[in-house]
Amino acid sequence: MKDFHSYVRYPAWLVGDLVSTPLWFFFFAVGVTLFAPTTQTSIYHGYSFFFFGFIFIILFSTTIWGTGQSVRNEQTAGTLEQFFLTPANRMTLILGRWARIFITDLLVIGYTTVLLYLFGGGPLYLYEPGLFTFTLVLFEVGSIGFGLFFAGLTMKLKSYNTLSNLVFFGYMILTGALFPVSVIPMPYRSISLAIPFTYFIDLMRHAALLTPTILPEGLEYASAVLLAFVMLLLGFVMFNWIEQDARAQGSIATS
Amino acid sequence: MGRFIGGGNAALNFATRTGTSNVLVYEMLGGAVWMTGWIVVEDVGVALRDEQMKGTLEQNFLAPVNRFILLVGISLTDIAITTAIFLIVVGVTLAFTMPGAYLAFFQAFLILLIGLIPLFGIGFLFSGFVIKFKEPYIFTQMVNLIFGTLTGTYYPVTILPYWVQFLSNVLPQTYVISNMRQIVLANQTLVNLYGSIFVLLALALIYPAIGYVVFKKLEKDASVTGELAKY
Repeated sequence: MKDFHSYVRYPAWLVGDLVSTPLWFFFFAVGVTLFAPTTQTSIYHGYSFFFFGFIFIILFSTTIWGTGQSVRNEQTAGTLEQFFLTPANRMTLILGRWARIFITDLLVIGYTTVLLYLFGGGPLYLYEPGLFTFTLVLFEVGSIGFGLFFAGLTMKLKSYNTLSNLVFFGYMILTGALFPVSVIPMPYRSISLAIPFTYFIDLMRHAALLTPTILPEGLEYASAVLLAFVMLLLGFVMFNWIEQDARAQGSIATS
Repeated sequence: MGRFIGGGNAALNFATRTGTSNVLVYEMLGGAVWMTGWIVVEDVGVALRDEQMKGTLEQNFLAPVNRFILLVGISLTDIAITTAIFLIVVGVTLAFTMPGAYLAFFQAFLILLIGLIPLFGIGFLFSGFVIKFKEPYIFTQMVNLIFGTLTGTYYPVTILPYWVQFLSNVLPQTYVISNMRQIVLANQTLVNLYGSIFVLLALALIYPAIGYVVFKKLEKDASVTGELAKY
């Protein structure tokens, strides 16, 4: 609630998020559809494909600039120690910020879908909504774990922007958010295949647009479930370890 | 991305929709106009915010300088630099990809210069908003994204729905981008395009006039309510 209160205190932020985010999507998506075959179905598929890429990107940006930035924000504001001294669980700070941004994301995704239709992009294709939701949950479980690790890392390293930009653009290029990883040439594709997010994205796109999966379907779902929970567990462990270390070193307060 | 969506016929699909197979120059002209427009709108709009933050806005307003000259003058250096960058980047790219298109480039550049005038009007509007709402960056980003989407930066506006095209047609950059592409990629001349250049000239009168009137109104309101000093 704290994060939500701070957010709505500045309506310009809310308006900026709600207007700018879908505009970035249309700005690039319409351009990309120039290359699509001229049949209406192909254009609609082109929009849907790009739209899911847009969803994968904003979900990950929540991880980086939401979950990952939560602790660092308190640190630079000088309120981290006060927060850590309250009887509140550490995770409420991180998950609270994640929840606020995730809700904003869902709002943006929802009305961008409507705008897409009004813009002539046709209906959004979603062939397997149940499987899509299931994989989205896995993505979020894994991304919270990654966000926890990242929050700990930025608490320790302090320097935030360079690291977050590197991770974010690495994600965009290597995980196949905007194109299938099969188009990445082979030595580099191995890096993509070693990143768990590649499989979450691949399965979400498969559920939405029936695109082929990287691994056999059953195996890929099983791997995604395992990866999501391992990432969550590792995130908790790493965050706690970094926090304990920072307490011992006296570096929590350093901004 | 385009090749993935369009397969082996991606370039052909692009040419069918745009009338040219020169993807690089087509996209570069749109992108360069958009970026130049962004700088003009932001610079003119945000210049007063900088003065406000430094605490020198009141001193500037008390000086015997016309507001119009003040607004244009404080952002002129940045705009001159941005225009020079456009000249160099687009000029060099055309020299390599379309050697001999010097006359077309010169005409295209003239259209850009005409197209900058209405943008000053939008900048005046933002200057007024800065005085009233203080925070300019979110608004300039939103408006520049709207311009990028509606004016056909990376595509012809004719592929947009009719209701969106109606909005596109009141924005000056739509004419700038379209005319520049016509001149550079379709061998048109300023004379052939006189109709849309006339519209652009009309917008160059209308936008600054409206922008300046709104700015003066917001400035007057702020001087009455004491908003000028707040930041």
